[in-house]
Amino acid sequence: MFRYYLLLGARSLRRNPALTALMVLTLAIGVAASVATLTILHVMSGNPIPHKSDRLLVPLLDVAPKRNYVPGLREPYSQQSTYPDTVNYLRSGPGVRRTAIYDIGGAVEPAKRDDPVIQLGGVATTSDYFAMFEVPFRYGSAWTPAHDERAARVAVLSPSKSEAIFGDVDPVGKTFRSWGETFTVVGVVGDWKPTPRYTNLTNGSGGYFNGEDQVFIPFKTAVSLELRSNGNTTCSRDSGVGYKGFLESDCVWIQAWFELASPADRPAAQAWLDHYAAEQRRGGRLERNAPNRLFNVTEWLEYMEVVRADNKIAVWLAFGFLALCIVNTMGLLLAKFSTRAAEVGVRRALGAGQGAIFRQFLTETAVVGIAGGVIGLLLAMVSLWLIRKQSQDLSVVAQMDWPMLAATFAIAVGAALVAGLLPTWRACQVSPALQLKSQ
Amino acid sequence: MEIRPILSTLLRSRTGPLLVALQVAISLAILANALFVVQQRIAVSQRPSGVVNERDVGYVFVRPLAQMSHVETLAQQQREREALKAVPGVLSVGWTSQMPMSRSGSSSSIRLSPEQARESATPAFYSVQPGFAATLGLRFVEGRDLNEADLLEYDPRTAGPDDGTPGVVVITLPLAKFLFPDATTYVGRNLWQGSEGRMKPMRIVGVVENLMSQGAGSLTGPYSVILPFRASLSFSRWAVRAEPGKLEQVLKDAEEAIRKAAPAPVRTFKRSVAEDRESRYRNERAMAWMLVSISALLLLVTLSGIVGMTMLRVAQRRKQIGVRRALGARWRDILRYFMVENFIITTGGIVAGLMLAVGLNRLLMAYTGMPRLPIEYMAYGAAALWVLGIAAVYGPASKAASISPAIATRTA
Repeated sequence: MFRYYLLLGARSLRRNPALTALMVLTLAIGVAASVATLTILHVMSGNPIPHKSDRLLVPLLDVAPKRNYVPGLREPYSQQSTYPDTVNYLRSGPGVRRTAIYDIGGAVEPAKRDDPVIQLGGVATTSDYFAMFEVPFRYGSAWTPAHDERAARVAVLSPSKSEAIFGDVDPVGKTFRSWGETFTVVGVVGDWKPTPRYTNLTNGSGGYFNGEDQVFIPFKTAVSLELRSNGNTTCSRDSGVGYKGFLESDCVWIQAWFELASPADRPAAQAWLDHYAAEQRRGGRLERNAPNRLFNVTEWLEYMEVVRADNKIAVWLAFGFLALCIVNTMGLLLAKFSTRAAEVGVRRALGAGQGAIFRQFLTETAVVGIAGGVIGLLLAMVSLWLIRKQSQDLSVVAQMDWPMLAATFAIAVGAALVAGLLPTWRACQVSPALQLKSQ
Repeated sequence: MEIRPILSTLLRSRTGPLLVALQVAISLAILANALFVVQQRIAVSQRPSGVVNERDVGYVFVRPLAQMSHVETLAQQQREREALKAVPGVLSVGWTSQMPMSRSGSSSSIRLSPEQARESATPAFYSVQPGFAATLGLRFVEGRDLNEADLLEYDPRTAGPDDGTPGVVVITLPLAKFLFPDATTYVGRNLWQGSEGRMKPMRIVGVVENLMSQGAGSLTGPYSVILPFRASLSFSRWAVRAEPGKLEQVLKDAEEAIRKAAPAPVRTFKRSVAEDRESRYRNERAMAWMLVSISALLLLVTLSGIVGMTMLRVAQRRKQIGVRRALGARWRDILRYFMVENFIITTGGIVAGLMLAVGLNRLLMAYTGMPRLPIEYMAYGAAALWVLGIAAVYGPASKAASISPAIATRTA
């Protein structure tokens, strides 16, 4: 019977091509607008490491002076950690792995003075970083904790920088000069582009979505070379003299991460952090007595406001637009079905129940929905392509994926069915006797 | 006016008109909010930066790969200045730590008195040498520019916590008005900077009309402080004003001149103020562009909805129209009938839409932090939909009006 209804639906749609085209197009535009905006929101708020996101935690302590304190007010210096705290986290923090990250910038010194200078932007971190964030390797591997300990001049490169410096070869064991020192390459990362760049959100190389970390060197090495953060440094009080004074200060410029063996260990990690903060407070620090906080990956992305308010506004307005398209289609279907009262009358008189009429007209509506979905998907693809041209940030996030593809069809067919319910119900109310009489 | 029969007809067959009114309502709700967001984003992206003739100004950034001493760095700055001034087409250059809208630079908190608990503002801190204001073309509304005698020599390698506060500064008028809302003159007043118990005053010697901060945020964008520093930072940033129309070539030559003047390998890049403006406000413009497209489609869909519904109602009533025509109704009576009917439907939709617009705005305020919708945007939206309604109905209504009275004599 369903096939028969499909056939009837297709035939009826063909009978009035202009009206059908208008319905399909209206639905398609509404679907395209909502899918395009929703795709951007979906990718922006994606979980970059779903199987592990609740075991990776960022600790945050509020180290600012007490007299500025307004409880609950979000302040720029509450996004990163100080150097002394980071050192303590690395040494005795909770979890099975711990790491610290800060953004660094530099350049490869050319062999000859007039050769072009290759810029390097990346992070200083520890050997655990690569295991914690599951970084794949194309060549070589991560450096070892021993390298960390002795501040070795070793580096891991991104594929693009490895190729820029050494060409298309395995560079492991080769050296380059940067920050006034000779670095030995121990590895080249593989295809790894977390979206958003959750490990290094406060970076100086592209922002939350765009850009990549091109070089990784041991944390202690960077500190021994007196490298400062290329991302963001915020000081709530003065720092002391020179780099040493800076390290000892309450300036925040480092991102710390803990990896727990299981999400169930989080209370223990919180207890450790509270205990640590209490200890520091006895030493005269952390005078605000603000809450000591832990964020897992999804909480962290939310806290850092990775999804911009504009993207949310766009989704709201686009779905409002879809609602308009649904109402519009509803009007068109109503007009269409009302001209077919006679047909319904005949079918009813020949023994079709109200249910059968309902199913027939709903099938016809679904055909419109599917057609609208297909065209809407194409339109959405075109709009996403146009949006990708707008900015590099958007070029990363305006990407359709399988879940969104499925969502597109669900939205299209759902919208068509919602639009079709009222007209279909009205069509079912046709009284056969009246229709047959007026013929 | 025959309002009564129109109303009773409307009440008898409600569904179609209700759907049209609903479309008008939804359109108005979205349109008013979208137009408001578009206006906000465009206004932000078009704010002046304080730079006169932006397209003639750019900058060259240079960072030596190896560290240099304080004395070497200052000597190198002098060589760079000479080299830049020798580039053909350069009108003026100035050393600065940062540039407006470039999204790279520092900000710091200031207070109005050393005892104050919370900071008064956290403006952009432009560390500059004389020549900066002239190169950008900043317009002084009060006081004077910074000069050589004001410069604070600063070595970050040896500087202590309290060495980083010059005695005099220039601030922007928007910041001055924010800090001293009741004052009319600002020169001679003090801003305080530093850590608890060790605050130092900086006396305002000049006020410029405007200078956008590096971040150009939507609220605090024009809050900037200009401080006189001769600092041996690990980089130099040279603001360059070129002869009109020659900026691209001048920046290219300037970058080359800086590389040649360097004793050892350096990292450099160049950028124009226009490029920084473009990239800083790209998201704002993308949003405005997207909402304008949605609004246009929205009006198109609503238009088709009104046209379709009117055509349907005309088709259903061909016979009645014929009868009315036969009984003496003129062309314009029929036209007026449909125009008035549509006006009632549209108006109903607009009234509902105004409430819906406020409701949508409340939702957006709660979930996205959007500001309250000003009443005039609802008025613009309502006016647009009234005009749209009248335009949409005219075609089908005039067609209906030309139905021949002879129709009345035929059977169904």
